Amino acid sequence: MRGLHVYILLAVAALALLFADRLSSYWMHVAIIAMFYGILASSWSLLAGYAGLFSLGHMAFASIGGYTSALLVQWYGIPIPVGMAAGVALCCALGGLIGWVCLRMSGPYLAIFTLGFSEIVRITFATEDDITAGMAGLHVERLFNTTSRLPYFYVAFALLVVSLLLMGVIVRSRWGLFLRAIREDEQAASASGVAVARFRILAFAIASGFAALAGSFYGHYIGILTPSLGGLDFMAVLVVMTVIGGMERLPTAVGGAFVVEFLLELLRGYGQWRLPLFGIILLLTMRFARNGLLTPLWLKFVQLGEPRAVTAMALRDVPQKDPAQ
Amino acid sequence: MSWDYIFVQVANGAVIGIIYALIAVGVTLIFSILKIVNFAHGDLYMLGGYCAYYIIALLGAPPLLAMLLSMAALFVLAIVLERLLLTPLYSDATERKDEYGLIITFGLAFFLRNIAVIIFGPYPLKPPSFIPGVQHIGEMTVTNDRLFAGGVGIVLILALLYFMHRTIWGQALDAVSQSRESAAIVGINSGRFNSVAFGIGAALAAAAGALIAPIFSLAPDMGVLPNIHAFVIVILGGMGSVLGSIFAGILLGEAENLFTAFFPDPTRALAYTNAFGLLILMVVLILRPQGFFGRRHLRME
Repeated sequence: MRGLHVYILLAVAALALLFADRLSSYWMHVAIIAMFYGILASSWSLLAGYAGLFSLGHMAFASIGGYTSALLVQWYGIPIPVGMAAGVALCCALGGLIGWVCLRMSGPYLAIFTLGFSEIVRITFATEDDITAGMAGLHVERLFNTTSRLPYFYVAFALLVVSLLLMGVIVRSRWGLFLRAIREDEQAASASGVAVARFRILAFAIASGFAALAGSFYGHYIGILTPSLGGLDFMAVLVVMTVIGGMERLPTAVGGAFVVEFLLELLRGYGQWRLPLFGIILLLTMRFARNGLLTPLWLKFVQLGEPRAVTAMALRDVPQKDPAQ
Repeated sequence: MSWDYIFVQVANGAVIGIIYALIAVGVTLIFSILKIVNFAHGDLYMLGGYCAYYIIALLGAPPLLAMLLSMAALFVLAIVLERLLLTPLYSDATERKDEYGLIITFGLAFFLRNIAVIIFGPYPLKPPSFIPGVQHIGEMTVTNDRLFAGGVGIVLILALLYFMHRTIWGQALDAVSQSRESAAIVGINSGRFNSVAFGIGAALAAAAGALIAPIFSLAPDMGVLPNIHAFVIVILGGMGSVLGSIFAGILLGEAENLFTAFFPDPTRALAYTNAFGLLILMVVLILRPQGFFGRRHLRME
């Protein structure tokens, strides 16, 4: 039976939705935060994994989206979804602008540039405290007027699914092929007729939009925003999640976000030791299994139910990246 | 605003600039040999500061000796880290080395910063002064520690320049940075110089950490901002240019200090000082990605 993995995923999703109300409030919170990270990790994987644009400014866009939506709702009393849409639109434009400005930069220069951008955003939000309330935190109107977390769970779920579907369509289309071509060799891609500039800008705009979506949802869920959302610590956790899962595929990036977020909660008893532990796992992953720890599992999962011959062929088609070769 | 005040600000700026330059020189040295931007450099600086602190506190060594021992310790540690983590960079089988170097040093920084919180505790520590006391300049004062840090910093930079230009190892490093293949043809074991460059870079960062510790204090996240400053300097001075880094370091130290001194809103001046340096970084990256003193053959394509 081909496509068995799709049915399994659908079944798991249906079960998750049906039995969501059985989750304790605490684990539901963990699940919501995991889905928040899932959107961020998958959109960062689109940017860094597919297009090879290693941006360290992703959380800055989440932060800008969150603050934009929160402030617009606070000042003009517009409905929250409209505020969130405004945040997304602003970050798409801003992301496109950043993408355009750093067209000539590659690899580490791009990383440094976006790091600079993200720190400026963080410092500005922390310092202009008469607008953003600074480090004390901005109170944000919550999306639902209830203490139950269930509606937030459904919204986070819907946002994650929609984001993944949209990005999945993009990476499976010719655009995704172009993005990977840019990652592998920009000049060769350009010579083969890929409009490198346009797609680099597009990748930045799209990924930043999804980051803003996640950030604005986070603000309206938690009810308070601090500038540290756009800081280096959040960014580092995002990199850890995406790289451990596998940054070159959307599902593995999301899986990484889920696994790391749940492990962080499970290991809460170990307190401070958790972050260095995940640091070591990140280093080991990068050193010995650069495709990510979940990628082999995912490839096996995708081939479930396929006839053996097809599996063998599919395996041959998967680009192998074994350093020993 | 008196001339004394401005003079003291200029002196402070120069000292901070020299410390920045010490860190940045390491970044640029590592870049010119290993072709990676070391995102963990600020954390090596942090470790150097703590290492000197514990040598003073536990062994009772004099501060200057502690600084030298800390440099030696970080030299060794950096070589171990380089052997463990960075060797795939030298293999032709590794694809997209930029990305590998970025993520591995970024991950290393994350690991070091968080393990430091556990080992050293989150609270700031302050080691004893190198030379207690202050110097009076008119109505203003400059602490001896700052003068000492500036002086030792200059000596270390001069020593590095001597090493790079007048010794056979320095010449070999330069050769490797220009062309690994040609260096190998004339009999230079280029593999060894990866370790040497990473070790020297870390040792200089350790010296900077030890020198700055009595002036500011030690904290596990103290390396984050100097790391970004080092990037500003390296971009400004040009990747791979040691002299450029020194000029740019002092320039940045001065610019920031004067910015803080003359910013119209004093409550926000300190916060925006860092943003100011970053703004310079972004503008330079947009206008002149190779920096102002960049060496053509080291430009990252």
